[in-house]
Amino acid sequence: MPRLTKYSTDEGPGEYPRDRIFRPKSIAVMGVTPTPGTVPHDIFHNILSSGYTGVLYPVAPGKQSISTVRAYRYLTDIEDDLDLAVIVFPAAVCERALRMCGEKGVKGVIMISAGFREVGPEGAKREQRIRDICKDYDISLVGPNCLGVINTDPEIRLNASFARKMPAEGRIAFLSQSGALCTAVLDYARAKNIGFSKFVSFGNKAGVTEIGLLDYLHKDDKTDVILLYLEELRDGRGLIEEAKKITRGPNAKPILAIKSGRTPQGADAASSHTGSLAGEDAICEAVFREAGIVRVGSIEELFNTALLLANQPMPGGDHVAIITNAGGPGVMATDAAVSIGLEMARFAPATTERLRAALPAAANVNNPVDVIGDARTDRYEAALETVLADPDVHQAIVILTPQSMTDIDAIARGIVRVHAGSDKPLACSFMGASDVQSGIDILQAAHIPHYILPEWACAAMAGVQRTCRWRETPLVPFQPLPVDESAARTVIDAEPSGYLREDQALAVLAAYGLPTLPHRLCHDAPEAVAFADELGYPVVLRLVSRQIGHKSELKGVALDLPDADAVAAAYEAMMANIGKVMPGAEICGVLVRPMIPAGHEVILGAKRNPAFGPTLMFGIGGVFVEVFRDVTFALAPIDAGTASRMVCGIRSIDLLRGARGMEAADLAGIELCLRRVGQLVADIERIAELDVNPLIAGPPERGCAVADVRIRLE
Amino acid sequence: MDRQQIEQRVVKVVCYVLNVDPDLVEPESNFVFDLGAESTQSVALVAAFEQEFGIEMEQEAALAVDTVGAATEFIEKACREQGV
Repeated sequence: MPRLTKYSTDEGPGEYPRDRIFRPKSIAVMGVTPTPGTVPHDIFHNILSSGYTGVLYPVAPGKQSISTVRAYRYLTDIEDDLDLAVIVFPAAVCERALRMCGEKGVKGVIMISAGFREVGPEGAKREQRIRDICKDYDISLVGPNCLGVINTDPEIRLNASFARKMPAEGRIAFLSQSGALCTAVLDYARAKNIGFSKFVSFGNKAGVTEIGLLDYLHKDDKTDVILLYLEELRDGRGLIEEAKKITRGPNAKPILAIKSGRTPQGADAASSHTGSLAGEDAICEAVFREAGIVRVGSIEELFNTALLLANQPMPGGDHVAIITNAGGPGVMATDAAVSIGLEMARFAPATTERLRAALPAAANVNNPVDVIGDARTDRYEAALETVLADPDVHQAIVILTPQSMTDIDAIARGIVRVHAGSDKPLACSFMGASDVQSGIDILQAAHIPHYILPEWACAAMAGVQRTCRWRETPLVPFQPLPVDESAARTVIDAEPSGYLREDQALAVLAAYGLPTLPHRLCHDAPEAVAFADELGYPVVLRLVSRQIGHKSELKGVALDLPDADAVAAAYEAMMANIGKVMPGAEICGVLVRPMIPAGHEVILGAKRNPAFGPTLMFGIGGVFVEVFRDVTFALAPIDAGTASRMVCGIRSIDLLRGARGMEAADLAGIELCLRRVGQLVADIERIAELDVNPLIAGPPERGCAVADVRIRLE
Repeated sequence: MDRQQIEQRVVKVVCYVLNVDPDLVEPESNFVFDLGAESTQSVALVAAFEQEFGIEMEQEAALAVDTVGAATEFIEKACREQGV
């Protein structure tokens, strides 16, 4: 049965242990110095000046006071209990500082200091010792090597970071592995009037990881949307399991993520098709989607989408209406909306009638609605009210270009007034900069997201749509299929690491119910002929050697052999050729099996990923699999719904469905095979890589058959 | 110059540069954790030791010294090697 990696919550006892970090009643900053402009000084100063509502203690050896606050030489000199310690000492003394926290009974620690795993092996050892101390004393640790933590809740007002300024209060939480990015994001957000509920730089995640933080934010009633910036995934499967809990259900919260490192690494060196295609980035893309995490490519897109999610209701569908006073931007917005996966709403006749009555004759009363360049607020209000009332409109975008007669502020107020009576999401794009600023301010004060370009509004709506689609996707618990696991293990347990022979790999697949054909490993031409006679013709011969991966390139495959003479001749030719081209190769024999009738060639692949565990791939197969790169991924094992989404998710799905008179493939059969491969790699941990390529998928009445397989063991 | 004399002069320099009470300074005192040295003060300490003892100290090795006792040992060795 599948052995899913159960992630560690890295959580101590208690219902909300992270409150030690986010809602401390008392804080000590260890290593404070009196010199402004240094990290230790600025962190203390930020907590002091941000209006923190608890009690603050500076630990500054040799100093009487810091910023008029009495200083302590050691943490243990403080008589009162402490909830949180912020350590800003150099790395060399952090272990001592952390141990002192443990002795004092401090259960929450933010370690700002750098000089750990990010600097090499010695730093990594130091970080391991930090982990051990946290475990010994049950300490929840954020960091090391981080910017710190911010909580804008007026009851707390904590800025335990060296960011320049405290951000405004808001409903968005931001979690980042990169500290430097945090400061840039805070500056960006301030310029865009974006507020935060929590802001966390978690650095090397030696203690609290993104998984524990997500769990906390799921329960946090001040947070509606979670933004995540990740550089490295250590427990991808744990992240996915946690995200699934957060992005659905009664307290569902959207998660938007940037995962940097899109460049595939090591793909060229991979020996299997799946290995070369299943880079971590490709897997991230797929499994984030399967967990309801909306992956975005830039900070701009991250906040554009977050603004809509945090400020507007969820749309009832993907149909959008556009209202504009300029044709060009209206057309550009339409292009952007359609190309990004939204659909232009089709107005009901009553809607177009009402628009026709309210707008001048030259106006376009279809979608996008053009209220014409000289439009004032009456036209905008009438158009917006009318389209929002149309049942086919799920959301709207209002575009304004500032003409000489455009009363920008009045239009903004009119939009706010009309939208107040609607439960559909709205985004605006007042194009320009200085002239439109006062109108933008009016919109933003009313929590209507504004975008400089209408294309950005479309992209944000598309991001929201991905969240909606995920929530609507039914989740079916994984149900194991009946398989013979012990038969598969008998084959695998007897083998060392490396590739299984083809006959062994076929036996493993057969144990898991995959459609393998009758076959035999023959050791001379007469044996091959005898077995071929038994099978009936035509047959296929396949050279079997652990040292030969791609047989056809070495003439190690003979197809469609019609009779005994052809089999004998092919056998001898195959042996003679391999003796010439690979004289040292260890030949195990020649596998004889029936010829599979032509059908669609697909690939089923699996690979064990360090962060995600067993992952599964499906795509168009054959020798050109890396050329087409038309593949989908998921974490194994998979349920029936995921199998269907994987198969239907490839670009060429219409080919499998029988485009242009082609025979349709047995899609249900492919999905079942995919589930069986998923179960196999989840059950048997020694399988490092697996390629079934191709699986020949005939029409439903004929079904699928395995034509070739490679399995590599760890 | 014996070990005790060196240690007394090291403590004097430490108290002056870090502006700490001599009562706080022990051989095992860590410059940062126990005496509150900032990163720039570490460089100042090395310069002050060189001036006090009339020696030259290899910067990287000297900055790696983290306690008063270790500094005394380091300086004692430097004095011996440099004939001071």
